[in-house]
Amino acid sequence: MHQQPAGTTRGGDIDMQNVVKDFGHFRAVDNVSLKIASNEFFTLLGPSGCGKTTLLRMLAGFEMPTGGKILLDKADISLLPPNRRPINTVFQNYALFPHMTVAENIGFGLKMLGRPKAEIEKVTQDMLRLVQLEARGKHLVTQLSGGQQQRVALARALAPQPKVLLLDEPLSALDLKLRKSMQIELKRLQMETGITFVFVTHDQEEALTMSDRIAVMSEGKVRQVGAPDAIYDRPADRFVADFIGETNFLAADVVSVNGNVARVRLASGKEIAARFAEGTQPSGKVTVVIRPEHARAAAVSAEADLKGTIQTIVYLGTDTHIHAVLEDGTHFTVRQQNSRSGPCGFSTGEQIGIHMSDDVAQILRD
Amino acid sequence: MTISAAEASEQVRRKDIRDRWLLSAPALILIAVAGVGPLLIVVLYSFLAPGNYGDVKWQFSTDAWFSVLFTRDIFDDTLSIADAHLSIFWRSIKLAIATTGLCVAFGFPTAYFIATRPSHNRQIWLFLITIPFWTNMLIRAFAIQEVIRNEGIVNTLLMKLGLIAAPIPMMFSDFAILLGMTYVFLPLMVLPLYASIEKLDFRLIEAAYDLYASRWNVLFRVIVPLVKPGLIAGAILVFIPALSSYVIPRVLGGGKNLMIGNLIELQFGQGRNWPLGASLSVTLVIIVLVAMLYYVKNASKSGGAHG
Ligand SMILES: Nc1ncnc2c1ncn2[C@@H]1O[C@H](COP(=O)(O)OP(=O)(O)OP(=O)(O)O)[C@@H](O)[C@H]1O
Ligand SMILES: [Mg+2]
Repeated sequence: MHQQPAGTTRGGDIDMQNVVKDFGHFRAVDNVSLKIASNEFFTLLGPSGCGKTTLLRMLAGFEMPTGGKILLDKADISLLPPNRRPINTVFQNYALFPHMTVAENIGFGLKMLGRPKAEIEKVTQDMLRLVQLEARGKHLVTQLSGGQQQRVALARALAPQPKVLLLDEPLSALDLKLRKSMQIELKRLQMETGITFVFVTHDQEEALTMSDRIAVMSEGKVRQVGAPDAIYDRPADRFVADFIGETNFLAADVVSVNGNVARVRLASGKEIAARFAEGTQPSGKVTVVIRPEHARAAAVSAEADLKGTIQTIVYLGTDTHIHAVLEDGTHFTVRQQNSRSGPCGFSTGEQIGIHMSDDVAQILRD
Repeated sequence: MTISAAEASEQVRRKDIRDRWLLSAPALILIAVAGVGPLLIVVLYSFLAPGNYGDVKWQFSTDAWFSVLFTRDIFDDTLSIADAHLSIFWRSIKLAIATTGLCVAFGFPTAYFIATRPSHNRQIWLFLITIPFWTNMLIRAFAIQEVIRNEGIVNTLLMKLGLIAAPIPMMFSDFAILLGMTYVFLPLMVLPLYASIEKLDFRLIEAAYDLYASRWNVLFRVIVPLVKPGLIAGAILVFIPALSSYVIPRVLGGGKNLMIGNLIELQFGQGRNWPLGASLSVTLVIIVLVAMLYYVKNASKSGGAHG
């Protein structure tokens, strides 16, 4: 199961087929099918209670699926207990053994696998170095800071060289700065070790910056799977568009379709171009989404695509958010980069025109 | 009047010390009056000579201490080791250790079971565990007797079922004493163990499983080390009363199977040798003390690096 010598680790690939998990009458995971490639940094993203942890626990073996199958490297592991799966978990609250030293924690997995003492010793030292805790091996884990405990948890899970590493919101207890540096650290470790990472978070920014691919979940179902830019730029449905980043939703009428670009008429009467997902044929009334950073605010003019009144202006350091109400009452947000000369230069209550460059609107699938 | 910072802090410190003594005074007085006082009287009596009809004569004597370990032949004054005393001590220690072991064996699964119930059910289980405490130990000893005596429930049942022809004699044996003590002291093991297991972070068990531990390793490398405080507390709570147990061996062990408690009682009653009773008591205290010191020292030593 774990015969690969150090350095040549290759992550396992996971194939979940129609996985279902019921708790009594409640369906926590609803018919999820996902393929995760080896060496991939894969993220499960979704709001609280959407079933991320449950899905991860089924991968680890703590929960048995009510239905469906889980394959690891083509072999069915659905019914294997956790100690027979070459998969390790970094728990949300670390779950370090408080009665053991840092080194004992890290060596635990190898010890349970019956590896020779010398090997355990060596791997433990390597791991301590990897997570930059060389000097702490003899300390009790209770004497470490949160960030250090986090790194021990990581080292402990990596030491047995699993094929897949599961991480359940491993950074949520850290402060922002530490979280940012751990994000980079995790990404580096994943690339260095080549282990498949399945990462759970409800922080969309974290998901976007770290992942090779993301599965967006809600209410037990997978809504969309794709690379971060695909998810962000081409959300499959309203839920995904709303959950990932900030989004403006506008009602529109399809005027014409030409190839994979449609012309839609907005409530303001202006027509803009909008993309749509392949295989769909938009017509009639549709909803288009426009990211705040793809719109631009300017003085009112005839060329403006939309007209509105500024309700609030929120200064964010690098950017400014301008929240406006359009003529038909819809709310619309524009994100503008701040220049040297200061924030946007508009003030609350002012009338503005909103401009969109071509090809930024996206028609939602209903 | 102005005072320097140093003087002020000195005053605060003195007041602190005074308050501390005042606050702990009730406890200290209680310990002195109810704990240390009687113990000193027992120690004092052990160095006196026995009176003719019980009681003590006020003259210094080490005879009692002498006869804890030795007997003097009535005819030729030769000394020999007091086999009877030593064997009773040894039996008592063995029985107390066995009782503690049995209480762990039965108490651990019980406590684990209760601690893993949904929280509203736990109260009911704990309540059930404490029910035996409501009745006098003597009554409980007789209840056990009712179960295991020749005409008791177990034998009657087995004979009715035709499994045995004659009753199995169980009364007045070490088995009877062990059964009785395990039954009586089991709650003292379950309650502290439960308190420890209840605080156990069950995610640690998942973590151990995740890291390839077998059930056995999960139990002995994670659960046991983490509930050790409860295990130690339970073992102490069971071992001490078991060692000095009096009612149970008296009722279930009969006249032949004495334990230290019965031997001591004998000196204050029929034996009319209070100093010997007192010195046997002090010996018991010393045994417990040594056992505890050894135990606690060992337990704390292997605390961090268990397994
Ligand atoms: N053991 C269980 N028994 C009953 N219901 C459960 C159990 N475990 C999870 N659930 C339910 O399943 C749903 C999904 O839970 P899960 O822990 O997977 O969510 P999550 O996406 O990880 O959320 P969060 O971001 O808050 O951690 C929740 O509604 C939860 O209440
Ligand atoms: Mg969760």
